[in-house]
Amino acid sequence: MSLAKLLPFIALVAAPVAGGLIAGMDRKLTARLQSRQGPPLLQPFYDVLKLLAKQSRPSSVWLPVCSWLYFLAASCSVFLFFGGADLLLVFFVQAFGAFCLVAGAYSAPSPYSLVGAQRELLQILAYEPLIILTVIGLKLATGGFDTASALAHPAPIIMKLPLVFLALGYALTVKLRKSPFDISASHHAHQELVRGVYTEYAGPHLALAELAHWYETVLILGLVSLFWATAWWTILVIVLGSYLVEIFIDNMTARLSWQWMLGAAWGIGITLCTANMAWLVFK
Amino acid sequence: MPDLNLILLVLVGLPFAAGFLCLALPFKPVRVVLVFATCLALATASVLLIRQPFVDHPGDSLFGADLRTIIQVADFLLLGLILFYGLLRKSLLVLLTGLAQAGLLVYLEFFKLGHGHTHPAFAWNTISLIIVVIVCFVGSLICIYALPYMKEHSSHQKGLGQPRFFMVLILFLGAMNGLLLANDLLYFYFFFEATTLCSFLLIGHNNDEISRKNSTLALWMNSLGGLFLLGGITLLYEKTGVLDFQGLTSQGPLSGLPLLAVALFCLAGMVKAAQLPFQGWLLGAMVAPTPTSALLHSSTMVKAGVYLIFRLSPCFMTTLLGDTIAWAGALTFVLAGALAIGQSNGKKILAYSTVSNLGLIIACIGINTLSAQLAAGALIVFHAVSKGLLFLGVGAVEQNIHSRDVEDMRGLYGRMPFTALIMVLAAASMILPPFGMLLGKWTAMEAAVLNLPVAVMLALGSAITVFYWARWAGMLLSSETGAKPTREPQPLLMRSTLVMLVVAVLALAVATPILVRLFFNLPKFMTAISGPAVPPLGDFIFYALGGLVLLGLLLGLMALFGVRKKGLATLYYSGAQTTEPGEYMGPMNKPVKVLASNYYLEGLFGEKRLTLWANLAAICLLAFLVAGVFL
Repeated sequence: MSLAKLLPFIALVAAPVAGGLIAGMDRKLTARLQSRQGPPLLQPFYDVLKLLAKQSRPSSVWLPVCSWLYFLAASCSVFLFFGGADLLLVFFVQAFGAFCLVAGAYSAPSPYSLVGAQRELLQILAYEPLIILTVIGLKLATGGFDTASALAHPAPIIMKLPLVFLALGYALTVKLRKSPFDISASHHAHQELVRGVYTEYAGPHLALAELAHWYETVLILGLVSLFWATAWWTILVIVLGSYLVEIFIDNMTARLSWQWMLGAAWGIGITLCTANMAWLVFK
Repeated sequence: MPDLNLILLVLVGLPFAAGFLCLALPFKPVRVVLVFATCLALATASVLLIRQPFVDHPGDSLFGADLRTIIQVADFLLLGLILFYGLLRKSLLVLLTGLAQAGLLVYLEFFKLGHGHTHPAFAWNTISLIIVVIVCFVGSLICIYALPYMKEHSSHQKGLGQPRFFMVLILFLGAMNGLLLANDLLYFYFFFEATTLCSFLLIGHNNDEISRKNSTLALWMNSLGGLFLLGGITLLYEKTGVLDFQGLTSQGPLSGLPLLAVALFCLAGMVKAAQLPFQGWLLGAMVAPTPTSALLHSSTMVKAGVYLIFRLSPCFMTTLLGDTIAWAGALTFVLAGALAIGQSNGKKILAYSTVSNLGLIIACIGINTLSAQLAAGALIVFHAVSKGLLFLGVGAVEQNIHSRDVEDMRGLYGRMPFTALIMVLAAASMILPPFGMLLGKWTAMEAAVLNLPVAVMLALGSAITVFYWARWAGMLLSSETGAKPTREPQPLLMRSTLVMLVVAVLALAVATPILVRLFFNLPKFMTAISGPAVPPLGDFIFYALGGLVLLGLLLGLMALFGVRKKGLATLYYSGAQTTEPGEYMGPMNKPVKVLASNYYLEGLFGEKRLTLWANLAAICLLAFLVAGVFL
């Protein structure tokens, strides 16, 4: 069996591990930037294991279904991504999970959960066009909708799609739940909505949601990695570089309102994408 | 194998006859029998039509009489009726558009038209067949649903009487079939205007002031569409002598004045499909009883406009007109979706969503590659079924809670679990994989790589549709009752039609790979330009994804077993919960009720704020569409 055939299965198991380690490094680094000690590197794993050990006492009959579907969709999207599927399909499978997360939060009508759910919808409204346009930009630059075309491209794709990469940065900020666009459920403990969209997710269901978030992190970083995928070390450079920049932005900015988020994502992000793609088409 | 004559007679003629019988014999049992018999006949005939090897029919005689002359006379009768209603409602716009049409028709029929036309009056292609099946199946289900619905409705509001309502409803099915199967442009025009009249009569059913006002609006706007159509026919006949679809589309891409005629046809289609800036009539039409909204204003009549543009697609292939049509469709997709975000009236959300999805279909037709055409066909089918289901669900909800506002549907799962779940499924089918709407959007996005403005607008529009559907679906589930809700009572016919449409939605989702293959094998008279291939969704991946969804549902249900004994956990409020649901002990130890609402983002997407700019943008684009014919 070739590596290409085994890769999606390896990714299915490795992605949550990688996601958890990234989350751990994130917390450690953020703490150090804030002159704190920070939790141990493996803390996210301890948290998930603790949550899994708890009883299942959901506050709504829909929460278990929604958390399972969110988890399965996120893991499936990572599987498809590493399996070389069409990137738009990968995105839409992930979007299924995002919808389930919102539906579960809506189904348990505590006010924090409800507002968090709506803010999550606004986040989806902000990042979805940007990711779709990124994929279309990749098609224009490499001639294919799948990762294979992007990997086969001889030059760094970021040279052809610099502005699209910047727009993807907005989507990355929103997806990673970082300031200034962490309005629905911040990555950290500072939150004016208790835990926003995750408020009513508890116990094993919150563990599933956390694992799904790790899968999604791996997915969005995978998309970022395609922009400089000429060698294994370039992938590391671009992924770690982007993540570090996100951590810095997170610590430098305050949370902004949804109007700012939509304005930045649509106003700036879509303009950047359109300009870049127009340049590619008319070149 | 019944012969083609009989099939066509059943599809087009029978509903007219059955409709008039409904009016002539105004008794409930007669109505029920007529509706069921017509629906059964239509469903059977449409299936038989697909299996016919022939795809055209001379269509010039009806029981020996000259059908062309009958249609000519009927055309004038129809215009006479429109003018009559224009006078009745004292509407200058109706009179102007009606008289203009009459003038053009007189000019065309008496001064210009030669005799001895040899083209077949009926000829159809794949898309015609697809929409005929939708009309005969989905339309039939809606008519059956209307029986108990109108019984309940007329106990609140007599309106203009059920016999008249059902006459027009059933007759309309015949007009739609005639429109879809027609090849002769004047036949098409007759059925087109017949649907306009049906729409007017049905919207005005309640006979209160708002219904009269909105039905008049629908009448003059659709009349304007008819005027565009007739103008295009006249121009085309003068310049080329062609009076049928086959003659028109066999010449390949056109230019000059014939292309202008095609542009006028497309404008007529856009008016019928309530595209921006003509969406006003569809929004106003929401005051009609729900079966009207479901049948005419989402599943079938508005598809007639889209069908017209689709039928003409060989004429504007590779021209600037094709690109402009795609831009206009995509613009409507985004802006109508944005307008839906700002709405809290359930039927208006559905109306804007319909306009938006029709724009998406038109955008696909404008792109005109094979995969874009497949996307358009798929979207037509899946949208008709899902949107029909949504409208029927809203109708059932409205009769139960007496409100159309989605805020009143919050937590509906606790009060009407069956209908609420159906609506959540239908809303999910509009935005999620593995349902066909999303697959259609996916195919459209990939096809739109050739047309950058369309790609950007599709990306935006897709996110916008997720917002307002997920908001509504979530709200329906947002129930506080921990106890298992009891199934609400519902008339048998309403429940069965809802169930059948749900089965249709699910069956279509499962059968998508088969349907795609069928689409490519049906007799086609559609050419396409080359472009990106259909996105690869192998059968294996498709069914694997479906299996995962089922797995998730199973695991979620299993997780609930422990909950039965222990009960649900309480929700997290700002304080300790009191014994009342939705209440907690607040400051000063006073109980505080939890109130929640939704984002409607009126500042950005409100109807009052956005409509003017949206219409202006659309008018500019359409002006360019017409002028661009000569570029």
